[in-house]
Amino acid sequence: MRSATVNAALRSWLPWTDRQGRFSQLRGATFALLLVPALMLLYAAWMHQLGSKPWTEAIHQTGTWAVRFLIATLAVSPFRRLFDWGKLIGIRRMLGLAVLAYVLGHLTLYCIDMAFNWGLIVSEIAKRFYLTIGFVALLGLVALGVTSTDGMIRRLGGKWQKLHNLVYPIAVLGLVHFALQSKIDVTQAVLMSGLFVLLMLYRGLYRWKLTISIPVLIGAALFAGLATAVIETTWYALTSGVSARLVFEANADILTYPEFASVRPAHWVALAGLVVALVHGLRARTSRPPRRARQPATA
Amino acid sequence: MLIKRPAGWEMPESQATPESVFLNRRQLMAAGAGLIAGAALPGLAAADTPDPTLDLYPAKRNEAYKLDVPLTAAEDAANYNNFYEFGMTKDIVDASRRLATRPWSIQVEGMVEKPFEIGFDDLVRKLPLEERLYRFRCVEAWAMAVPWTGVPLAAFVALAKPLSGAKYIRFETFMNPRVAPGQSQRWYPWPYTEGLTIAEATNELPLLVTGIYGKPLPTQHGAPIRLITPWKYGFKSVKSIRKISFVAERPKTFWEGLQSSEYGFWANVNPAVPHPRWSQASEQVLGSRDRRPTLIFNGYGEHVAGLYKGLENERLFM
Ligand code: HEM
Repeated sequence: MRSATVNAALRSWLPWTDRQGRFSQLRGATFALLLVPALMLLYAAWMHQLGSKPWTEAIHQTGTWAVRFLIATLAVSPFRRLFDWGKLIGIRRMLGLAVLAYVLGHLTLYCIDMAFNWGLIVSEIAKRFYLTIGFVALLGLVALGVTSTDGMIRRLGGKWQKLHNLVYPIAVLGLVHFALQSKIDVTQAVLMSGLFVLLMLYRGLYRWKLTISIPVLIGAALFAGLATAVIETTWYALTSGVSARLVFEANADILTYPEFASVRPAHWVALAGLVVALVHGLRARTSRPPRRARQPATA
Repeated sequence: MLIKRPAGWEMPESQATPESVFLNRRQLMAAGAGLIAGAALPGLAAADTPDPTLDLYPAKRNEAYKLDVPLTAAEDAANYNNFYEFGMTKDIVDASRRLATRPWSIQVEGMVEKPFEIGFDDLVRKLPLEERLYRFRCVEAWAMAVPWTGVPLAAFVALAKPLSGAKYIRFETFMNPRVAPGQSQRWYPWPYTEGLTIAEATNELPLLVTGIYGKPLPTQHGAPIRLITPWKYGFKSVKSIRKISFVAERPKTFWEGLQSSEYGFWANVNPAVPHPRWSQASEQVLGSRDRRPTLIFNGYGEHVAGLYKGLENERLFM
């Protein structure tokens, strides 16, 4: 009997089961997807496909995936509501812990790349602003990770949400770290920042209790796209000698020069927002009436 | 006749690689079908025909230039390249193969006795090729050591016969966004431009490089001809040179145009002057996890330190 309860407890902990210990497709698929970049990285390393500075390449890949998963984590709450998809909450903790895992891998790889020269590692983290903020972000993620257990959530009560709202400033630090480490080209960092802005807009919509409708979501998409272009332009204006006007104007090239190379981060962000609007519209149509239909009569 | 006038059948470069493509895409759209048809060509052009200079390799090694660090494996040097014309990553080998390196000519202009254009294959036969083992140090704090084949830049300067008013030499790479997608990022100050003072250019160290590891340069290393200045950060060593000008004013380089506070004109290697975002005190050896201390002027101080007497107020190491 006892071992059965232990088993059940264990089963509800597994990454592919839900809280009742039953297999969850959503959680299983998410877990598998989260492993893919790490496995691909290991495979590429095994096959010597990481180039002449393999550790540096691995630092870059783990960092990039950490940011991507962080954005995915932040998408859970808004998507849950926008798509009326309650179960999505079941993957949020797993996503967050994956971010932590990739970031810890990222730091470990950095230490390896620096040949475990601790003096150099510590002084670089202290001296280089982009590393300092990366380190602060990492400490924040560790704090969120260790307080992510059910026990901690219970113990911290109302303070838990406050603590975990730190994820927003952590994300900003991570994005700035991303942009700062680049030699000149910040396309990827701008793209991720634009998606972050889009997700923050969704939060804003709910917080200010605005009615969510397709036109509003389309407006949010376009606004986030514009914000992305402004972020990109401002970044280049502040940190480089290139003409801010040319950077901004490049967003219009898609009209005269419809080619893949002309697709800028602003376009991707707007497109992502439009897809969200579309999916919201489709979900609203198919899942009506929203709650009652799904409540079993016996409950 | 080695010094070449553009022959009738040769397109002038301005026509082969229209700058208008880059400067104004509306014009490109207007040009329409002609250019779109042309866009298919460069992919085919990548040279599978044998290199016409193959017989010159391997060139005799100049034993005056010795290394005190191990040679980098050819494989490692060949697969970690900055060539922004072909992408922002280090993995640009395949993309760079689109660059057609024949026919290739170099235009020599500005303050010289007589401006001229010379075919690359003529140039390599006109000047003595030699092999030298050099250290190479990237501003990103990685380093390698490779055997370059090339001609001393000083010999080329002598050939070009600059006038006394010429104080700087300016190098420019090709311009062809159809082949080099990076060049369609229009806010970058393409084409890649670099420069040296005449005193630097006539020092014994800089090489106009045409080969590596005893073979002609592969495209990712800047075929068919590039600069190597081993005491400076790698971005000074402009690739795939198309135009060399002798000028009175200090040229504004590509990287100065992008971010002059981090990548300046002089860019001499110095362990004591960090990049604003990382230390230059040590360098990672390509193809290994080893780090070794960076050397002032990348170890070439005895050859070049004298060039900078009286220039102490300049940002020599940035
Ligand atoms: C102690 C903490 C950290 C250290 C020491 C560190 C170190 C580094 C280093 C050395 C690079 C490569 C820079 C280069 O090659 O020039 C890098 C890139 C990056 N890091 Fe970190 N990092 C830390 C924390 C973080 C955190 C918390 C995140 C994300 C939440 C992150 C995301 C990234 C990203 C996205 C890149 C760029 C990858 C690319 O563009 O390919 N890092 N980091």
